[in-house]
Amino acid sequence: MAIYTMVNQDTCISCGACGASAPDLFDYNEEGLSYFIGDNNLGNTPIDEDLIDDLEDAIDGCPTDSIKMSKEAFNGDPSKADSVTV
Amino acid sequence: MSNQEMYDVTIIGAGPVGLFTAFYAGMRSMSVKLIDSLPEVGGQLSALYPEKYIYDVAGFPKVKAQELVDVLTEQANQFSPTICLNESVENVVKLEDGTFQLTTNEKSHYSRTVIITAGAGAFQPRELKVDNAEKYRNKCLHYFIKDLNQFKDRRVLVCGGGDSAVDWALSLEPIAKEVTLIHRRNKFRAHEHSVELLKKSSVNVRTPYEVGEIIGNDDAIEQILVKEVRGEDTFLLDVDDLVVNFGFVTSLGPLKNWGLEIDKNSIVVNSKMETNIPGIYAAGDVCTYEGKVKLIATGFGEAPIAVSQAKTVVDPDAKLFAGHSTSLFASPTK
Repeated sequence: MAIYTMVNQDTCISCGACGASAPDLFDYNEEGLSYFIGDNNLGNTPIDEDLIDDLEDAIDGCPTDSIKMSKEAFNGDPSKADSVTV
Repeated sequence: MSNQEMYDVTIIGAGPVGLFTAFYAGMRSMSVKLIDSLPEVGGQLSALYPEKYIYDVAGFPKVKAQELVDVLTEQANQFSPTICLNESVENVVKLEDGTFQLTTNEKSHYSRTVIITAGAGAFQPRELKVDNAEKYRNKCLHYFIKDLNQFKDRRVLVCGGGDSAVDWALSLEPIAKEVTLIHRRNKFRAHEHSVELLKKSSVNVRTPYEVGEIIGNDDAIEQILVKEVRGEDTFLLDVDDLVVNFGFVTSLGPLKNWGLEIDKNSIVVNSKMETNIPGIYAAGDVCTYEGKVKLIATGFGEAPIAVSQAKTVVDPDAKLFAGHSTSLFASPTK
């Protein structure tokens, strides 16, 4: 099953928790906000299966619930997150 | 309950910038009150990453977040600020005489000026989402542990997979009667070393399990129904105390309703750190202006600007810049 992710940058507080949990998935952009490295936060590129644990850690650790996860591509819209949560 | 004592400045948020603001205001001979929603000072540094190294604080080639908080607290305490923890500021109102009334979940505070150093907002523990959990909060359901000895000879269930959960389970092991740790997934995200210690300990570790139901009377938990995540298995555990470490959540919350100009979740300030409400200033990550960079280092620069402005409001005869600390400490009445 393909799993997609992206960061809701409207709620991200730049705390860095996601980058610490999942350095292969998330990094800061020029504004200091977190983004999904895979496709510049569009959320259209499935993540590697062996990174799902890291993604779940990042979701658990995000204090603003800004890390989104879905079985379908996001097309840049974080509200498309479905119930595939940990 | 109301505390009518009027302070020169009340600082909202006891993170690194709030602590430094408290120090600087103390050095400017202001009476200082510091309010924070968490039970400890330190803000994000203590709540989210106490063990992480920070490399961009002036004067420190590298410093652990908690160590930075500790020295900032020591620095602020030189002037004995009043520190109110476990209080979230819900409203700030300007009174007819130009002073401010700050209402928290506990009481009212009064202040001549306000400096908001609230970072990303009020941090609260992520709560256990089980129907009757709230009934046991602060009785036998704990989101924070203040005194390990209260768990002496008790049967404790710890929930969570991060450093806090694993560290508390290990700390409780020699004190409690028995310790069980459950986590929703098989892998813990705590430090490898802590997980190794956990494996060698007598802590009963069960994964992937979560709390299904709390069974108890009005005052005490008797049993916890533990259920398998994405599975059918359940079991009952005799438990006296439940410790939940699901991390923290934060939001600016009520701050957005105080009449402050807000842009993208930050308070707009000018080069004097003034907000649109005279007498209220902001510094650190919570404020924004053209070119703002959200770093502890920047907040440390903004704090003295806000304090110096607030000082001239409290004491119109005071100088904006009273001199350097080297001379201020020699004559602290300035």
